[in-house]
Amino acid sequence: MRGWMLAGVRRGPGPLIGTVVASAAAAALTVAALSVAIADTSAPAGRLAAASVVVAGDTSLHLTVRHGDDARQSLPLPAYRGVPAGLAGQLARVPGVAAAAGESGFPGGVIRPGDVDLVAVTAKPGVSPDVLAGRIRAALHGGRDYTIATGPARGDVADLTAAVERSEGQVLGAALIPPIVMISLFVLAATTGLAVSLRRRRFALLRTVGATRGQVRRAILAELAVCGMAGGALGWLPGVVLGGLGVHALAAHQMLPADSAAWRSPWLLLAACGVSVIVAVLSGQIAARRAGRTSPAQALRETVAEGRWPSPVRILLGLGAAGGAGTLMAFTFGQKTAAGQLALALPLLLACMVAVALLGPVLVAFAAWLARPARAVGGPSARLALAAISAQPRRTASAVIPVAMAVALVGSVYFADASIAHAAAAQAGSTVTADRVIAGPGLDAGALQRVRALPGVRAAAGVAPLSVAATDPDLEPVYGETVSDGPLSRVLDLGVTSGRLDTLRPGQIAVSALEAAPGAMGVHVGSRLTVYLPDGTPYRATVSALYTRSLASGDVLIPASAVAGHTGAAPGFTQVLVSGGTPGGLAALAAGHPGWHVASRSVANAAAERAAAQDGFANNLILGLVAALAAVALVNTLAVATVERRRALRLLGRVGASRGQVAAAFGWHALFVTVTGLVAGAAAGAVTLVAVTKAATGSWVPFIPLAPAAGLVLGVGALVAGAVMIPFYAMSRREPALAAG
Amino acid sequence: MGRTGEAGTLGYMLTATADTVEQTSVSAVHAPVVLTDVTKRYGRRRRGVPALDRVSLSFGAGSFTAVLGVSGSGKSTLLQCAAGLERPSAGTVRLCGTDLAGLSQRRQAVLRRQRVGFVFQDLNLLPELTVEENIALPLRLDHRRAGRADIELAAARVGLGGGQLRRRPAELSGGQQQRVAIARALITRPEVIFADEPTGALDPHTAVGVLRLLRGAADGTTVVIVTHDPQVTRFCDRAVFLHDGRVDRVLPDPEPALVARVLHELGERS
Repeated sequence: MRGWMLAGVRRGPGPLIGTVVASAAAAALTVAALSVAIADTSAPAGRLAAASVVVAGDTSLHLTVRHGDDARQSLPLPAYRGVPAGLAGQLARVPGVAAAAGESGFPGGVIRPGDVDLVAVTAKPGVSPDVLAGRIRAALHGGRDYTIATGPARGDVADLTAAVERSEGQVLGAALIPPIVMISLFVLAATTGLAVSLRRRRFALLRTVGATRGQVRRAILAELAVCGMAGGALGWLPGVVLGGLGVHALAAHQMLPADSAAWRSPWLLLAACGVSVIVAVLSGQIAARRAGRTSPAQALRETVAEGRWPSPVRILLGLGAAGGAGTLMAFTFGQKTAAGQLALALPLLLACMVAVALLGPVLVAFAAWLARPARAVGGPSARLALAAISAQPRRTASAVIPVAMAVALVGSVYFADASIAHAAAAQAGSTVTADRVIAGPGLDAGALQRVRALPGVRAAAGVAPLSVAATDPDLEPVYGETVSDGPLSRVLDLGVTSGRLDTLRPGQIAVSALEAAPGAMGVHVGSRLTVYLPDGTPYRATVSALYTRSLASGDVLIPASAVAGHTGAAPGFTQVLVSGGTPGGLAALAAGHPGWHVASRSVANAAAERAAAQDGFANNLILGLVAALAAVALVNTLAVATVERRRALRLLGRVGASRGQVAAAFGWHALFVTVTGLVAGAAAGAVTLVAVTKAATGSWVPFIPLAPAAGLVLGVGALVAGAVMIPFYAMSRREPALAAG
Repeated sequence: MGRTGEAGTLGYMLTATADTVEQTSVSAVHAPVVLTDVTKRYGRRRRGVPALDRVSLSFGAGSFTAVLGVSGSGKSTLLQCAAGLERPSAGTVRLCGTDLAGLSQRRQAVLRRQRVGFVFQDLNLLPELTVEENIALPLRLDHRRAGRADIELAAARVGLGGGQLRRRPAELSGGQQQRVAIARALITRPEVIFADEPTGALDPHTAVGVLRLLRGAADGTTVVIVTHDPQVTRFCDRAVFLHDGRVDRVLPDPEPALVARVLHELGERS
């Protein structure tokens, strides 16, 4: 390594600290996401610990879907398919088997007579479980329709929910990595751009001494690589801790098996360093090219150290991004299906953010022009601050951009989530039209009969949550409800748009308009549709109704009699909705059954609203990560940008400005950055927010609760003020000229 | 000190057109820096007063020239165009026998580090490098080995002792910093040294010491100094006066008193 290239890192690391901090944050988040995505989620074998080999009906559903590249897709099933009890006898005859016993009674187990959940096989001494598994597979003619598990895999057969939860949690972990890397790129690009432009004169001197453009570029990239390496090493441990906390939180929310442990491996350190080096070097490409390209004479001229206006290429690219965002917006709102709109939301947000980032200097200049009246109000300090902003819109833009990014990202994610939760709560509150709701254990068909027989009861229906597998168009779990046979329209108002939902008979299915759309299942009333029940049994049905209020009830309704025996639980309901009847009659019935509660519609609805509001855990996790990165970026860039104004500070002190006046000028600057960033970020985020709200709830108006909105504004303001004023006071204490004033 | 790095550049020059080679052999001997009808305009001021207006000048081998003028006369622009740091709007610049217009940015950088030295008023040295490393920088950039003996010799020629080599620029006085800059400019044994107000930030006594050093150390090297300080001309063979981007007059063997009078006159005129 050539000494001159990296001397800046070794001996003058000040301007590079921001880059190290930002890449450490990126590395920590990547490590956390990775350790969740590759967490050790093997479930304990429990009561199967003594078995050498466990044989069950295939615990996954395999399906060939007619689209995309991976046409054959699999999904773990939440319930056992069941195997005939006679299988135990057949397996007992396999050479090397000491004993084989059918076992039942696991969570998600079968209740059909003559079937068992699985067969536990014990090997004779000296026979290895794997050899035995091979023999069993041969005895079962390849064992295509079976899951034959040994070792840690037995745990997944003992607890089917483990596999389902794992796939949810790990999909989330894996899904977090690309946005983290992307946002880190944004964050780092802003920081490195500033760190490089701070030292333009240094690079110019190198050029006059005879460094080629390539040498300057390589020196900058080498510096960034070292910063990335340091950041990766620094971010590794916090990332491991964060990953552990994340796995714990996901397990607590049933998105990972209870005994999961985050992936801990020395490879994570390598991954952390690798990611942050790559991200740092990628993000520095533009800054390095620009530094290499600046003519040395231009950079040496003190007064015009930096061009006032961004390059025409940047403006053109920015206008291109804005145009792209506009086109994408028109395209998004033109999408017929909500799924299509949701799929375009992220690209739309990115396009808006890129446009704001590239056009930042122009926006700043415009905002400075708008802010001119403040000169009259704010006195000489405001005049100073505005003059500094108008003289160097690019500098100010590098502070405004991370503020706008933070507002756009956090705002659109949070308020989209809030809008959906609000709409879900509102729907939950208006979906149930029954007068009373009975909830509790053991609500089965018999209980429903007794409720219906009570005097004055006009209608009663039982409901229970259900998850089925469906192709929409990928094989995915779809959440819905099973409903009892009998009239529904008196107890539920689901907003049926076509077909009828008075009764749902076996062989029929009701689908939400969202799922029925062409981009998803692509069905309409009268279509034939196959969904797969929890134990993998196909349910072939005719679509009898489409409905819009799916946020509370889920996306499919299936008659309870069709799913009985296929859910891994005794047939029954979690709630019975009652129309009519007397409070006394229902109370008397409930009194005879411990655990039953009777609630009025409003109480039940309030409970449903609360449940809907708490459902945003995954979103909150993503939001927390995004907010953390955005805050790091914001503080980082602003602190670097403030320190950079040391010269101005010194000069002001020399010409007789008092400390208070200079503090006010910096304060005005911070206010300008906050307001411009908030407005630009709100504009960039609002487009996406409206698109998502429209897609998920059908309404053009997003729900923006006052308290979080005010919190966002105040939080951004506090971060900006802190990042500007704390370095200011630190610097001004070392300026005697100021301290005197 | 190996000069193998130059073979590439020389080879490049020799493979240029026959016309160029002929001119090279003549001008390289007599004048390492030749400006012909050089005009420089900045930005969009196409109709405004150019910073340089059809300036033709030649700086002979081993000559020691001061370029003088009031602020805004174009003297810094002249230096930057002559050194290839700035591309002229019109006219040709030949540096070390090569037409700069025909060189890529990369080749210009290589030419600078092999055959040209620079001394500026300030910001001469990289603050994070030691004195020693700053002096060796042009060699390192050129992928050459910087021998300890060469560095010590270069430092000794400008009066820097071994104890100062491991220090950082911030620990040195202004005069010492300029000496380091001169040592760095000399380390490659360049044909030309360009100096932009090298004594501008120094007190008169130190300034004279630094100039005497430059004069003594640069024996045989062509030196072009841009300055507004008449005292600098004490060490010069020639003084070139610029006014409004044009060569106003040239004084051979200038006297500081006369130079001061001319400068005052030029100042009155603008």
